[in-house]
Amino acid sequence: MDAQRLKDSFAHVARQGDAVALFFYSDLFVRNPQLRDMFPIGMSVQREKLLGALGGIVAQVDDLPSLVPFLQQLGRDHRKFGIVAEHYPAVGASLLATLKYFCGTAWNDDLAEDWNAAYTLVSKVMLEAANEDALRSPAWWNAQVIGVERRRFDIAMLRVVPDQPLPYLPGQSVAVETTSRPRHWRYYSMANAPRADHTIDFHVRLVDGGPVSSVLVRSLHVGDRLRLGAPVGTLTLNEDSPRDVLLVAGSTGLAPLKAILEQLARRPSPPRTHLFFGARTHEGLYDLEELSKLAMELRWLTLVPAVSDEPPGTLPGLHRAGTAQAEHGTLPDVVGRRGLWIDHDAYVCGPPVMVARTNERLVQLGVNRDRIRMETFAEAQR
Amino acid sequence: MNSPHTPAGHHYSTSSDGGVRHDDGRYTGPDPAEPDRTGGHNLPATMGESRLTPAELQSVTFPRAPLGRRGYDEERVRSFLQYIERELAQIFSERTALADEVARLRERLSGVSSGGVPPEEAHFQAVRILSQAQQTADLYVADAERYTRELAQEARQYREAILSDAKSQAELLLDEAHRRASAVAETAAAAAPPPQHVPSGDPSSLPDDVRRQMEREIAYLRTYSEVYRTHLRSYLESLLRNVDEWERSERDALPTGATEPPRPR
Ligand SMILES: Cc1cc2nc3c(=O)[nH]c(=O)nc-3n(C[C@H](O)[C@H](O)[C@H](O)COP(=O)(O)OP(=O)(O)OC[C@H]3O[C@@H](n4cnc5c(N)ncnc54)[C@H](O)[C@@H]3O)c2cc1C
Ligand code: HEM
Repeated sequence: MDAQRLKDSFAHVARQGDAVALFFYSDLFVRNPQLRDMFPIGMSVQREKLLGALGGIVAQVDDLPSLVPFLQQLGRDHRKFGIVAEHYPAVGASLLATLKYFCGTAWNDDLAEDWNAAYTLVSKVMLEAANEDALRSPAWWNAQVIGVERRRFDIAMLRVVPDQPLPYLPGQSVAVETTSRPRHWRYYSMANAPRADHTIDFHVRLVDGGPVSSVLVRSLHVGDRLRLGAPVGTLTLNEDSPRDVLLVAGSTGLAPLKAILEQLARRPSPPRTHLFFGARTHEGLYDLEELSKLAMELRWLTLVPAVSDEPPGTLPGLHRAGTAQAEHGTLPDVVGRRGLWIDHDAYVCGPPVMVARTNERLVQLGVNRDRIRMETFAEAQR
Repeated sequence: MNSPHTPAGHHYSTSSDGGVRHDDGRYTGPDPAEPDRTGGHNLPATMGESRLTPAELQSVTFPRAPLGRRGYDEERVRSFLQYIERELAQIFSERTALADEVARLRERLSGVSSGGVPPEEAHFQAVRILSQAQQTADLYVADAERYTRELAQEARQYREAILSDAKSQAELLLDEAHRRASAVAETAAAAAPPPQHVPSGDPSSLPDDVRRQMEREIAYLRTYSEVYRTHLRSYLESLLRNVDEWERSERDALPTGATEPPRPR
């Protein structure tokens, strides 16, 4: 297998843009109409993902140590879509047909042989990881909604119970599919440390016009069914660290940090912990009441609510939110104002801009980059 | 294909949208032949009979709900989207049938060495047809998504406008009340005798007429502040009712909202 030849031919094909993935999927579905049902009706996002993934794979085809873990994860991820070994040859055949079509006269037997070998290797790694994963966990978990609390017209807290235990680390997320948006999987973070009754909480904010979040926030009812994929994510607690802890949550970025907070609370002697919870308005501090209660009980916890777009105390009583007086300002500013975090482990989650700026500010304040773990909610899906 | 944890056999259950979720993960959508339960009225006249065209999609308008309930009629939007989904599903089954047809033709042709369309060309033709259908579908989906996003953004802006309007009105009321209260207090102070004539705070040591006047002022202030408080309270309460009602009507607009008892309006 000649890596350079693969890269050159893919670069040539990829220059032809969306047409390539369009041809690929059409070829796949003309040959195997039964596969169409596995994909959503709108395919533009899938086409981007496919091209992106292929590009990434080809770019690393001669760097197996980085490529293999990626492929293993991709293989495991495909289990929840219902993909099994039989599906791979069909995809391989259409991929080769697509490359041949777009390479035109540059296509020859050597190139065909290279691509065939590369696809065989890729699918082998993906399938082996999937099969190994199948020994330990189901392809997905069926879960039932047992609680829906709408905290604001665009924020809901959901409680679900999976059919069988779903082991995860606080701070991780799972892909979720609802029966009313089949084949649309979106990630949500578990908002609690694992419980004895295996119930899981999610905090969901409605993204305007978003197909899945709008259903979860507005029309989900107790008794509805969901499917959950396997837990993913690295925004998890550094268990070996003796340092104090700084948690910075923007809006529903609170979810994974609340799970981490619960994990800390189970330690015999929890570290001193600051939780900053910020939103644009008081109303956006959807979980302030419960957090305030927690902060009263837990001596080692300091809670700092922050609001950026409203003066600190307009019209008390109109927002039923909370007992604590919120600080005024954006999270990076409020966190920066509060002082020295050099000896802390920091965990940051929320919208991309907030996460990036908080990270920058902490680094300016002297916090070691290695001690900041963060996750943003917007980018991973697309 | 399932993991050892998933129960064997081929069970399925009916999902909330009338589709069927199979054990192996396949999901069959709601029966397209089933009558529209959400009431597709108020949609373009062609709906249900002939094919939807992109031009019609562009000209769709949704009715606004009456003021005081909420900005937009979500149910109409929802049934519109469901309609589009059915429409697309039909396009796809038609395309698949076409593709099958092409495949059959191709098979027949493959026996014939001369004349007719070469099999490879027939396949590319099928791929082109399917690609076009897919692009049309993508356009529909993108339009529908953009449309719901715009609706949601407008509804949000509308809601925020009402709230901020209400807030500034309440602030105005407060300012006005403060202004009047201090004006009254000033009048009272001016009418009262100079401070040296009031050695202690004890009103019983005041001359009768001054005392009577102060009592009147105090009574006035009390009444005024009570009236003002009642006024403000009822204003805020109606505001909250407004917000609650908004939320409730949004909930009621959802299909399952029908299980809630009807409210007198
Ligand atoms: C690891 C991970 C964990 C997540 N955890 C949570 C969680 O706990 N709670 C939660 O509410 N969401 C969470 N999200 C976001 C969630 O997965 C969905 O993207 C979100 O709910 C919107 O879904 P949708 O289908 O309605 O819209 P999508 O089709 O996903 O998005 C519609 C449009 O909005 C943009 N967008 C998506 N999310 C946001 C956002 N948060 N802010 C601004 N724009 C956005 C998208 O880029 C897209 O353009 C998480 C995402 C990831 C990757
Ligand atoms: C080389 C092999 C493959 C690569 C590189 C690949 C790549 C990808 C990627 C990057 C995604 C997006 C993952 C995500 O959103 O989490 C995806 C999703 C998907 N893939 Fe694959 N895939 C491969 C093989 C297959 C096969 C054999 C099938 C079987 C038909 C398949 C069907 C799907 C489906 C149904 C989805 C979900 C689409 C969605 O997001 O809704 N893939 N694939």
